Amino acid sequence: MAGKTKTLSKKENKAKIVEKIKKILKARKDYLPPSVIEELSLKLTSLKVSDKKFELIVEKTLESYKQHLIDANEACGIIAAQSIGEPGTQMTMRTFHYAGVAEINVTLGLPRLIEIVDARKEPSTPMMTIYLEEAYQVNPKLAQEVANEIEVTRVIDLCHLETDITNLTINIIPTKEIERKHTSLDKILNALDKVPKTSSRIVDGKIEVTMDEPSYKRLQSSFKTIRNLKVKGINGINRSVIRREGREYVIYTEGSNFSEVLKIKGVDRTRTTTNNIQNIYEVLGVEAARNAIITEAASTLAEQALIVDQRHIMLVSDLMTYDGTIKAVGRHGISGEKSSVLARAAFEITVNHLLMAGQRGERDPLNGVAENIIVGQPISLGTGAVQLMLDFNKLAKSK
Amino acid sequence: MEYTRFEKARIIGARALQISMGAPPLLEVQKKDPIEIAVLEFEEGVTPITVKRERETRIRPPV
Amino acid sequence: MYQLTKMEGIIAIPPEYLSKNLKEGLSELVRERYEDHLDKEHGFVLLTWDVKPIGSGIIVHGNPSIYQKVSFDALSFKPVLHEVVDGIVCKVAEFGAFCHVGPLDALVHVSQIMDDYVDVNLVNSRIIGKESKKALALGDTLRARIVALSVSELNPDELKIGLTMRQPGLGKHEWIKEERKKKEKEAK
Repeated sequence: MAGKTKTLSKKENKAKIVEKIKKILKARKDYLPPSVIEELSLKLTSLKVSDKKFELIVEKTLESYKQHLIDANEACGIIAAQSIGEPGTQMTMRTFHYAGVAEINVTLGLPRLIEIVDARKEPSTPMMTIYLEEAYQVNPKLAQEVANEIEVTRVIDLCHLETDITNLTINIIPTKEIERKHTSLDKILNALDKVPKTSSRIVDGKIEVTMDEPSYKRLQSSFKTIRNLKVKGINGINRSVIRREGREYVIYTEGSNFSEVLKIKGVDRTRTTTNNIQNIYEVLGVEAARNAIITEAASTLAEQALIVDQRHIMLVSDLMTYDGTIKAVGRHGISGEKSSVLARAAFEITVNHLLMAGQRGERDPLNGVAENIIVGQPISLGTGAVQLMLDFNKLAKSK
Repeated sequence: MEYTRFEKARIIGARALQISMGAPPLLEVQKKDPIEIAVLEFEEGVTPITVKRERETRIRPPV
Repeated sequence: MYQLTKMEGIIAIPPEYLSKNLKEGLSELVRERYEDHLDKEHGFVLLTWDVKPIGSGIIVHGNPSIYQKVSFDALSFKPVLHEVVDGIVCKVAEFGAFCHVGPLDALVHVSQIMDDYVDVNLVNSRIIGKESKKALALGDTLRARIVALSVSELNPDELKIGLTMRQPGLGKHEWIKEERKKKEKEAK
């Protein structure tokens, strides 16, 4: 109870500080975005400063904020492209990385960055990071249970398989794994129902599978099917690894199936994530996909110890998702969808674009950069975008 | 009105061109270089040029 | 006909005009640009006054001039097709007589001077009817109708005006007077 009142007063304190910041801003007729006010107030709550110093801090924040504002007509796209491209050249061409102790390998470095920017349907190494709800996260046993729910468990993982050539049967002999994975012979039997043209029954704590038509060939093929038969788990998730991070346990998986994993009891839906951006888009929508692109690209770069300002990546991500779907950077995405014929022709397959435009009678209003460079006009960026007018009043006032 | 760096460059550039092509300077100056004169005029705020903006660049959002 | 109109146009202000006296400069520039020139819409502009700038002039990349939209009052002469005009013969050529019509020159072709075959005497600058012996000489005043208008392709300031005098009530002023007297006599 004591803890609760303390947090409450902390909250109140923070609200007070937010009010104070807003008051100063109002008096100065200035503006700071809510996120900055939030961050500032969080930091100021833990500090005890005099009013004068408080105002000075806000002032300095404003100064720094304004310094970070971009000028109108700045060529931010080009700057973003260069800022990501240059560190990109320093990335290792092909790296596989083991997520911690466990042997889950993930595509990283340049190939991963290309994957993200190309908006691939499926990453070459899909992977999930599954966080658990409070009740599960500190208990390794419960965490393991959730992992068992998620990971695909095959018959071969639980049992020995033997083929009896004389009787043309397959004998499934359970091992200790069955208990560890919290399954039973009955469950395996249920799963075996799906194997065509066979019938199975439990004999002396074993399962005996007989062929409907006695044939050695059938036996061979059924053996293969049964070996890899899924008993439980989620399709697509081949392995899971539990790691302790701080005080909680986190499940990492090889393979990804976002929508199904979210249905599992004990999974924290607010934090669990996948590196399959398309999956995130389908389940959570574009905004989430936009964030996923940002975090994935940023972490890929950060992992290679390359420092790129978040906003460059945000711009790329915004451009990829602004129309509500994920578009790739390149011919099939952003560049291919440019409205200007000349801009498209300047990028790739020039002749085709010009020919099609001629057939359709397309018009080009020359709004973009590429078009204006082609025609030889000042581009609509930087100084080229500034329109000047004569100021009669100032001229009249002059001596 | 606060100018962006592009606007500033463009204003000074355009004015320097005018001066170099014979426009009378609006300040009493000893300088001969049209760019220097244009810079001085800009600093004094007498440059007879304004910027036409499609929409006013806003630092604060609409209330 | 002569007309008073409000005109609008864009003029380039050279940088040397950029001083306090820009307004006067504007009038001068408009005068230079429009007076004594043919305007497609308003005809031949004779006088301009009351020049007012519309909005602020635009400054273009790499060009020291300012492009300023202006409005002004103008007096212009605009020949209209089928309009009846008075003129003075100013030159006689083999193919007809040129005459001043307002500020412009127009041509009455030999075939359009009178209902008669005519002899052209270039030495005396006269055009004489073969049977009627009516003569049109340099300095004669006449009344004619505009039947052709065309702007020269080579020189947009040149307007070709074709006249005719072979219609009732048209011709040299004296011929018109005679005709009227004759009619009055017949009426009596």
